[in-house]
Amino acid sequence: MAERLLHVFRNTPLGRETILQSLYFCKMLGVAIEVYVPESKQFVMYFDHDMVQVDLDDSYLTTPDSATTRVRQLAAVYGITPTFFKPKAFTASQLPDISTAFNFMCCPRSISDLSTKIGLGHIGPKVRRIIRSSHFPVLMTSSVFKAWESITVFYGGSANADKALRWGLHLSGITGKPLDLFTYKEGRQEAYFKDRMQAAGLWDQVQRRMRSWHQADQGVFEEHLFHVPHDALIVVGAYGHSLIKEVLFGSKMEAIQSWMPNIMLLVGPNCMVGR
Amino acid sequence: MMKHSKYIQAVQTKWAIIRSDDRLIVIAMAGLVGACSGLAAVALNRTLHYLSDMFQQVHHHWWAFAIPAVGASFSAIFLNHVLHERAGHGVPEVVYAVSRHGGLLRFRSSFSRLVSSCLTIGSGGSAGPEAPVVISGAALGSNIARMFALRERQRIVLVGCGAAGAIASIFNAPITGLVFTVEVILGQWQAFNVIPIAIAAVAGTEVSRLLQGNQIAFAHQQHFVVNIVDIAASFGVVFVATVVSVLLGRLLNGMHHVAERTPLPGWVRPAVGGAAVGIIGLQLPLVQGEGYHAILEMIQGSFHPGILLAAVAIGAKMVATALTLGWGGSGGIFAPSLMIGGLVGLFYHRALTWLIPSAALSNEGCFALLGMAGLVGGILQAPLTAIFLVVEITGGYAVILPLIIVSALTSTFCYYIEPGSFYLRELIEKGQYMPPGTDARILSDLTVGELVETGHAHVPGDTLLSEFIEILQYSNQHVFPVVARDTSRYLGLVLIHRIRPYLFDRQMRGMLFVEQIMEHDVPTVKSDDELSHVLEVMEDQGLDALPVVEHDQFIGMVSKATLLDRYRKELIVQAGM
Repeated sequence: MAERLLHVFRNTPLGRETILQSLYFCKMLGVAIEVYVPESKQFVMYFDHDMVQVDLDDSYLTTPDSATTRVRQLAAVYGITPTFFKPKAFTASQLPDISTAFNFMCCPRSISDLSTKIGLGHIGPKVRRIIRSSHFPVLMTSSVFKAWESITVFYGGSANADKALRWGLHLSGITGKPLDLFTYKEGRQEAYFKDRMQAAGLWDQVQRRMRSWHQADQGVFEEHLFHVPHDALIVVGAYGHSLIKEVLFGSKMEAIQSWMPNIMLLVGPNCMVGR
Repeated sequence: MMKHSKYIQAVQTKWAIIRSDDRLIVIAMAGLVGACSGLAAVALNRTLHYLSDMFQQVHHHWWAFAIPAVGASFSAIFLNHVLHERAGHGVPEVVYAVSRHGGLLRFRSSFSRLVSSCLTIGSGGSAGPEAPVVISGAALGSNIARMFALRERQRIVLVGCGAAGAIASIFNAPITGLVFTVEVILGQWQAFNVIPIAIAAVAGTEVSRLLQGNQIAFAHQQHFVVNIVDIAASFGVVFVATVVSVLLGRLLNGMHHVAERTPLPGWVRPAVGGAAVGIIGLQLPLVQGEGYHAILEMIQGSFHPGILLAAVAIGAKMVATALTLGWGGSGGIFAPSLMIGGLVGLFYHRALTWLIPSAALSNEGCFALLGMAGLVGGILQAPLTAIFLVVEITGGYAVILPLIIVSALTSTFCYYIEPGSFYLRELIEKGQYMPPGTDARILSDLTVGELVETGHAHVPGDTLLSEFIEILQYSNQHVFPVVARDTSRYLGLVLIHRIRPYLFDRQMRGMLFVEQIMEHDVPTVKSDDELSHVLEVMEDQGLDALPVVEHDQFIGMVSKATLLDRYRKELIVQAGM
């Protein structure tokens, strides 16, 4: 089955940067792109155990007449023929139901807040819920398109981090891009992480593909983020902990996304593992 | 410490037992959901009383027509701009969620319609509070189910529990809550559903009784004696109620379409409808609000306006309801149906008494009840709900026999004229209503992507027939997808049974290419197509399998055999066998 990425298009310069990142991602992975050009400011996504209503800002409805032409023009640069998603069902007779049967979805850092917040690194609450509920990883774009030349996986030794590492290895395998690991050890030894990878059956692949492994123990987590290459696609597990833990200790993923301007692939707790 | 940990372990074990049993967990949650939705209903009911009393003091002023306009406008602003929730009756959304998405409802729906309907009805709009409390209760049930990570089937039952608790609470009528939920929301009677919904209805009623006292909604002092003449006369009520139900439904739809075509901002439209209702209300105040007071007067036989005024009131209430709901106000059709029905029964009784003064009919309160059952049965196409509602809100079984006749026959006749209740009409028109137990409902839980069979060897279009025969010798495929050699673009299908004449013609083998003998016009399907549509295409074309094509690339085949096999398995799951 051909893999597909869902992209919600915004016909603005910022929207152009976003779709360029989706197109580059699709080109690298050989994934088809399905573009939704919104006709109303709200849409609904039904997951297995949750439904998410996304409230878009006004910029998503800018000049819809030229939207499809522009998407085709941008996609043609990458030799990709986009298809356009047309909602078939509607909640409350007016809210389009957007399918969740995709393999990836592109979300700008916020699709439910003002676009000005994107540069400041806020993940909108709806994007959080999509990440939590979806079977697919979410591609969170940066404000300006930059071709990524490597893949950096944030590995913290949790079950969700294993999943993220699997995705990182998968992407590295397909694209041939080098893989870097980043671990904030939080008082644990390197052996702990190696054992964990071995137990998950990932260590052999990691040894084959890994270019570098940055391990940090001392100092503030955010200070070490400078070691992540500026042109890397960051792969990180998201919301793998319980709600209480997240409220008490915060989410590493939220910290990374608010500090790092890189494009990110967020692997949620219900996300399927890559091929 | 040891004791403490043992205690925790014991609690965990018991919780695991409850958690593992589908029924126990739902029954345990049903009471909670019913009580919460009952509380929401009481809150709305009390607020409406308060607002009604408040605006009663100013209704005699000429400018009072603006109050429903302002109320409806605020209601639309709150729904569309504050909560970003689209307006509507609420019940179709609940039915849609149950029918298509395992009962998933937004959390905001648990309070949005309560506030908006308060503004619409409290300010004098002609609508009922029942649909708003149904969606609030259902959304509470859905979100409680989500919080406890319950399964889809359990979630649907809790959605029903929310609706039952709300209806039971607002009318102090537990059986009506149960019957309405099963008949209108879920659409099927199953032991698995009925027990938790009954518990929720009891919980909702009990909350209402604790907070408001155990009062029959329309308690009266009338003693109805029903004889054979009344039963015969009830057939006339069936006729009038059917006509009025159909007219009301069409008027509501028509008004909605007119409003949609009017080039006005979303928050102005309800104001237009509200102002029109306010103007009608200056002359006929009884058309405003939910109309419970007028209903009580009709049942008690103390409704003073004469026969002509009753006829005018029927038309005015219908128009006022259509103006309120059609132009974007928030509320439901339940209470207006009761009032219009009461007026219809009353009008019919007075007309019959005028025409045949010697007819020994029961009093007009009895016929008001029959009219109410007729209108509710006709609009909702839910005869049992109508019967139990009237019995419970009036506190007696005296009129049960004509009530059954009127309710059952009006529902049936309305069904023949308008196939689908007022709640379901739009969903049916858009093909989005899937009644339980139907093929479409069962297949809606499966996708083409789950059924597609990949691994079919495909052949380039410029393959010679002789080369193709060699491939065929070592293959057990009956269907071969044909693709372009350079781009892998899907071109068509080779169906072995259709090319048999060429296979045995030795001269042709070296002359024909596969693309010359393939089928060009076999319909293709996409992975997100509805399976009911795929099955229809197979039936129409007489094919056992269809190619799945995405972005011009052949993905695989979806076959009728696989589809029916999965259908059977899904049927077992959905039937809970």
